[in-house]
Amino acid sequence: MKIGLFIPCYIDAFYPEAGIATLELLEKLGQDVEYPLDQTCCGQPMGNSGCNSDAAAAEALFVRNFAKYDKIVMPSGSCTHHVRDNFDAIPQTDEVRHVRENTYELVEFLHDILKVDAFPWAEFNHTVGLHNSCGTLRALRTASMSELGEKPFSKPMDLLSKVKGIRFVTPKRPDECCGFGGTFSVTEEAVSAKMGVDKVRDHYQAGADYIVSADSSCVMHQQGCAERAGVPIRFIHIAQILNGAAE
Amino acid sequence: MSAARDEILQALRNNRPTPENHPLPPVRTLGDLDASRERFIASLKILGGDVLEPVEGETLDQAIMRRHPDAKVICSNVPEAKGTLPVEKVKTPQDAATIDVTVVRAPFGIAEMGSIFLSESQLPINSFAHLGQHIVVVLSPDSITANMHTAYQERPEFKSANYGVLMSGPSATADIQGVLIRGAQGVRSLSVWFA
Amino acid sequence: MSNKPVNHARAAEHFLEDAPHLQFHDERLWDMRQKRDGQMHMLPEWQDLREEASRIKEHTLSRLPEYLEQFEENAKKNGIHVHWARDGAEHNRIVGEILKAHNARNLIKSKSMVTEECDMRPYLEKQGVTVTETDLGERIQQLDDQLPSHIVVPAVHKLTSDVAKIFAKDYHTDPNIRDPHLLAEAQRQAARPVILHADAGMTGGNFVVAETGTFVVCTNEGNADLSATVPNLHIATIGIERLVPRMADLGVFIRLLSRSALGSPITQYTTHFRGPQKGGEMHVVLVDNGRSARLGMEDFWTSLKCIRCGACMNTCPVYRRSGGLSYGAVYSGPIGAIIDPTFNERKYSTLPYASTLNGSCTNVCPVKINIHEQLYKWRRVLVQHHEMPFVKREIMHMAGKLMGQPKMYRAAIKMTEVSLGSMPRFVLYNWLNPWGKHRENPHPVKQTFNDWYRKNREKAKPAAASETKK
Ligand code: SF4
Repeated sequence: MKIGLFIPCYIDAFYPEAGIATLELLEKLGQDVEYPLDQTCCGQPMGNSGCNSDAAAAEALFVRNFAKYDKIVMPSGSCTHHVRDNFDAIPQTDEVRHVRENTYELVEFLHDILKVDAFPWAEFNHTVGLHNSCGTLRALRTASMSELGEKPFSKPMDLLSKVKGIRFVTPKRPDECCGFGGTFSVTEEAVSAKMGVDKVRDHYQAGADYIVSADSSCVMHQQGCAERAGVPIRFIHIAQILNGAAE
Repeated sequence: MSAARDEILQALRNNRPTPENHPLPPVRTLGDLDASRERFIASLKILGGDVLEPVEGETLDQAIMRRHPDAKVICSNVPEAKGTLPVEKVKTPQDAATIDVTVVRAPFGIAEMGSIFLSESQLPINSFAHLGQHIVVVLSPDSITANMHTAYQERPEFKSANYGVLMSGPSATADIQGVLIRGAQGVRSLSVWFA
Repeated sequence: MSNKPVNHARAAEHFLEDAPHLQFHDERLWDMRQKRDGQMHMLPEWQDLREEASRIKEHTLSRLPEYLEQFEENAKKNGIHVHWARDGAEHNRIVGEILKAHNARNLIKSKSMVTEECDMRPYLEKQGVTVTETDLGERIQQLDDQLPSHIVVPAVHKLTSDVAKIFAKDYHTDPNIRDPHLLAEAQRQAARPVILHADAGMTGGNFVVAETGTFVVCTNEGNADLSATVPNLHIATIGIERLVPRMADLGVFIRLLSRSALGSPITQYTTHFRGPQKGGEMHVVLVDNGRSARLGMEDFWTSLKCIRCGACMNTCPVYRRSGGLSYGAVYSGPIGAIIDPTFNERKYSTLPYASTLNGSCTNVCPVKINIHEQLYKWRRVLVQHHEMPFVKREIMHMAGKLMGQPKMYRAAIKMTEVSLGSMPRFVLYNWLNPWGKHRENPHPVKQTFNDWYRKNREKAKPAAASETKK
């Protein structure tokens, strides 16, 4: 199985350590991973804004980069959601369909495809609150959502609970959106920032030292809100913990 | 007027999704089918209604006086209670406004919701159920149906009454800062007397 | 009516400045959502009910003309006068004429969103008819001359102190009252004589049963029953999408409605009107007002399944933090954002963007409307119809181009400041500026992932490197 690694633009530019952890983790798990150097973006920002035709170039490039892989893995729920559910600015050829059907968010890939049952190298002696992005929660369905009253399940929790030393807390509104929302964070900045600060406070008041998430875009926003409001909480991508980061 | 009708119906015909793709699902009876008096009472209490339990040997009139000691005008539309105002005196909708306690019989209740049903057949005038300050409802424990599905499927009243209300406890509102207040515009209390 | 796009963001910013109101608003609606969850957990059949409700509604919408005709026929048999209105103006004229024919000058009414759509009150008032809202929340909004901010709890954005001030003006109560019970009692006392002397009563209709010619009204205060049973003239204004085929279908909908809305099992009053009361007269006005056109919109017709429970609003994190009035429309929140543009595309072009597309709304909706997917689709439609602000449109255009050209993209990132093609830099910065208003910027890093990879992996695999280079 040849894996193509996609690293979203904001991880590339602002959270490279999350990308490095993803790569190293997949390598530790014995995977054959390649990162096509000419990648840019999955097309989501344009698609989400309604400017779907403007997503065509990014989507076409994405397919050029990744069509040759058996599986495409990315440490981002929202990008996975775009590729899987909304990637239609370009004609749906066999190649495009192959890419869309074989794209996985990292947690799903570890949980459902590799079925990893141990991270012997991982130890994280902190109290964490898990932030499920809305993309992972309600589109990829990697965890149960409170709206449906379904039997609780959580793929990220399944993985994290295999890490030594880690402790969990649950905020009061675990499913509430943090308010990033792509361009929403700019066009509706007041509401967005209020949602963000409410979110980080909720985790902090539950006793979390860290907010862990599979989505760095939510983190970028939450971190900005926490720093401005002076909420002393740290942020980490789930790949980093699973890869053995101590803090 | 008929131009509007035809235009609307024509637009709907032109625009509707393909009917064959949306068959009518068969009627289903879902949920708890417990039709017990206990379930009815528990549901009634959740919605702010109450049961008027007879103290030994007490008549309905006496029970009402005990529950509503300040009531001056009690008007009964059931043989079980005499009241103070003959029901024949209530002729116009406005006449019901002076009543403190109205007494009626409900043909059935719904265990799931603690609802009682009233229609023009049980009321001298429809406003009788709403303009009085309090209402006492006589209900036979044998005429409780399990839930909303069974009620709508089994009770003929829904298809025959011109006016049919399911009352589930007294009038209520939470429109001011979310505070629940019983007795908003309609009756201030609803009590059920089993008989 | 002005066509200027509603500035939801600015109105929301304003709403956020008032901490006590904001906090109450958010917590009250979140509590309603929690209570709804509680009801859901009590019913193992909850998801079956949603599925049934959705299928019954979709079926009905696909045969709406037939069911409307069936309703009309049965209603007429029962002695109801049935009227049809293409739009708000026609509706108002019809109601005005009925009232005139009865020389009715005092109309009491229960809550009806359709009459808000039609902007009926000012029309009737111009004709000398006094219209009094009997729902407490709606009455508060009427006295304050505001639209309802929520379809179920119209005054949810107000605190007790606000209501006390409003009542003091009109009911001459003490403006310093802080006990909601006293204010509710003041409303009861003020409303009674108005109800007793009303010439006509008006209600909406939550459901319409084709099989029997019945319409159903759900309230908690019993004010619809008072409005319909005290005066002898009853007019009901009802949207044409409210139909269900069979009486038995109500079982599904009544079980869902109040549980979804307030988290109570049922509204205190669920009233079935099938014909006029003794000595009375009953009229039903069936209102289209854009609905038949909406039925033809492939991506949006299922919004007509809506039973107006408000659950999508209660759960919406944006609505809770911006308030219903910030939507500048009759319908606010998620459901508003997907139906308002059908009334006026330009004016409400901003509303589908007042969302993070988080999808909570879709999953609480009792009739399974894919609200957040419709928000996404509306954005596409609005861009196609040129309803996106020029700057944002240009930025997306430039960004899209750049994302297709890896070399330029890399160069742009390397310059540590993103300069997008020919876009003047200050325009971009102005557009991105709001990020930093209440939030720190992300921290710059020494090395992008791409650089790290080239340094740490590509050197070890020269063959792979040349393969990916063009
Ligand atoms: S869209 Fe759904 S959740 Fe929202 S008001 Fe309508 S029925 Fe309720």
